[in-house]
Amino acid sequence: MSQTITIDPVTRLEGHGKITIHLNEQGQVSDAHFHVTQVRGFERFSEGRPFYEMPSLMARICGICPVSHLIASAKACEAIMSVRIPHAAAQLRRMLNLAQMVQSHALSFFHLSSPDLLLGLDSDPAKRHIFGVAAGYPELGRAGIGLRRFGQHIIELLGNKRIHPGWVVPGGVTEPLAPAKRDEILSLLPEAYANIQLALDAYKKTFASFRSEADVFANFPSLFLSLVHEDDSIELTDGTLKLIDAKGSVVEEGITAHRFTEVIGEAVEPYSYTKFAYYKPLGYPDGSYRVGPLARLNIVKSMGTPRAEKELAEFKQIADGPVQSSFYYHHARLVEILYGIEKIEQILSDPLILDKHVRATAGVNRLEGAGIAEAPRGTLMHNYKVDENGLIVWANLVIATGQNNNAMNRGVLQAARHYIKDGKFTEGILNRVEAVVRTFDPCLSCSSHAFGQMPLQITLMASTGEVLDTVTRS
Amino acid sequence: MTAEPIPCLILACGNPLREDDGIGPHLAEWAADRWRADPRIRIISRQQWTPELAADIATAHSVVFLDCSIDAAPGQVNLQPVQPAAPQFVPATHHSGATELLALARDLYNAAPQKALLLTVGAGSLTFAEDLSSTVQAALPRAIHLLQTTVQDLLSDIPAPAEPQSA
Repeated sequence: MSQTITIDPVTRLEGHGKITIHLNEQGQVSDAHFHVTQVRGFERFSEGRPFYEMPSLMARICGICPVSHLIASAKACEAIMSVRIPHAAAQLRRMLNLAQMVQSHALSFFHLSSPDLLLGLDSDPAKRHIFGVAAGYPELGRAGIGLRRFGQHIIELLGNKRIHPGWVVPGGVTEPLAPAKRDEILSLLPEAYANIQLALDAYKKTFASFRSEADVFANFPSLFLSLVHEDDSIELTDGTLKLIDAKGSVVEEGITAHRFTEVIGEAVEPYSYTKFAYYKPLGYPDGSYRVGPLARLNIVKSMGTPRAEKELAEFKQIADGPVQSSFYYHHARLVEILYGIEKIEQILSDPLILDKHVRATAGVNRLEGAGIAEAPRGTLMHNYKVDENGLIVWANLVIATGQNNNAMNRGVLQAARHYIKDGKFTEGILNRVEAVVRTFDPCLSCSSHAFGQMPLQITLMASTGEVLDTVTRS
Repeated sequence: MTAEPIPCLILACGNPLREDDGIGPHLAEWAADRWRADPRIRIISRQQWTPELAADIATAHSVVFLDCSIDAAPGQVNLQPVQPAAPQFVPATHHSGATELLALARDLYNAAPQKALLLTVGAGSLTFAEDLSSTVQAALPRAIHLLQTTVQDLLSDIPAPAEPQSA
């Protein structure tokens, strides 16, 4: 008799999703899916709004990465306006994006995944959370909180709000950086460096215990996509898209924002509200690819900052070519935190960073615009069409989680097949299946543009629909 | 990032778009207006309490948590001491309770406020609305009075700041 195991919702994610694992009559895993069960809506209800409202509206999609939406949206608006923003504004936005990257990656690593990494995937689920980490590893707990506060405080200093700052606007930013704020940010750097070094050391020490998981946590060849700078160094806010294959060969590069719809398509599956992005020339699902920290570090040739450069060189030693196991998203995330701190320091030394000219103005000069930025979870694309009065007539958002959707589903299936034998599973095994999804740090609120709570229900069902077993975490 | 030491921390929680859930931020707004010039008091208002707030609690001599209650009768104003306690269930990532935040401050920073109190007002309605329900509106003077006397009591041993000298 075939059976279905349901993990609903998956815990320690940004949003609300569930996993179903289908077993055949021999109790072997025949299929598995990661479902995003929230309903999207932002694209639709933005229709009719003035385009210049879009950054603030779109930022409300997410409380974790609103800055990415602000920036991608503002860039789409600037394409409609046909303006280039002032240098200081571009640098300040870059710093805001980096601050968000640091705090979001810290949330993912310390709050969501460190319970698995430090306490163990089979540890008591009642204690496998950030409070358990705080009790057992207070120094790392403080480092995580310190990095979160570092990023959040910079966002607040620049944008006057920790979440949903309205400071990024079409044409630039609303106010320049004050010298006192620059000095305050500089004063925060030493503690941030110490915290990320602690985390990197702890991760590398702990990783030896997870080699077997790394072998089966979404470990397969795929394409990788991210923004890159023109010299192939990392670029999170500007640059062009580059796509490489599993061996590291360039599939396509130099893809500008206004061309992304020519090369990126979105497929729909009946089991998820999140779309499945793919590279059009290869079709779906062959053109599926991965984005985010792992993709970025696989694609770039340089970090452009000294300490992160050393970490990148070490990261590149993991594999001969692109690193395929998604377990290494954790590692890549920590390298990017280090890069973020260093780059913020670099930006603050820019002699024009206090320049008061931070906003360009224009009206509607084009009826369509697209903008791309790298969000913590991966590439984020906004595309708008307006009428001659500048009112939105159509909007589409391609979200990082949608671009990782196929890989997450493949990863869940890979891990389920590896761990579940003869229909038998334990809580630790199901936690491993969940942990595969956590490596990607999906933002289900972004991918569906809604929000949810995160209790967990696991149900074992017969093919007749009969519930054979249920475990619930409230 | 280490917060500066503070004699009294007021930590409010609630969503002002969900009617009586906004009582915490509402009281925090009143407190910010009342004690604007008093450096002994820091006021933080959030839609949700998150683990990062443990760092602020760790620097506080006393803490007053402000929240609505779905267990108390609508409009019922309560003040009770709070002790640190580990979560009884798998906690949500984005939301922590007063007891859990105190436990985090203890575990991470080896710090405990000398006094930690939770002031709650029973919620009458949690629908989508920016105003408080009439029941909670009616309870507001009692809640404000209790908050004021509580903070004054907590600060009784700490000298008030000097009045600014006139020119």
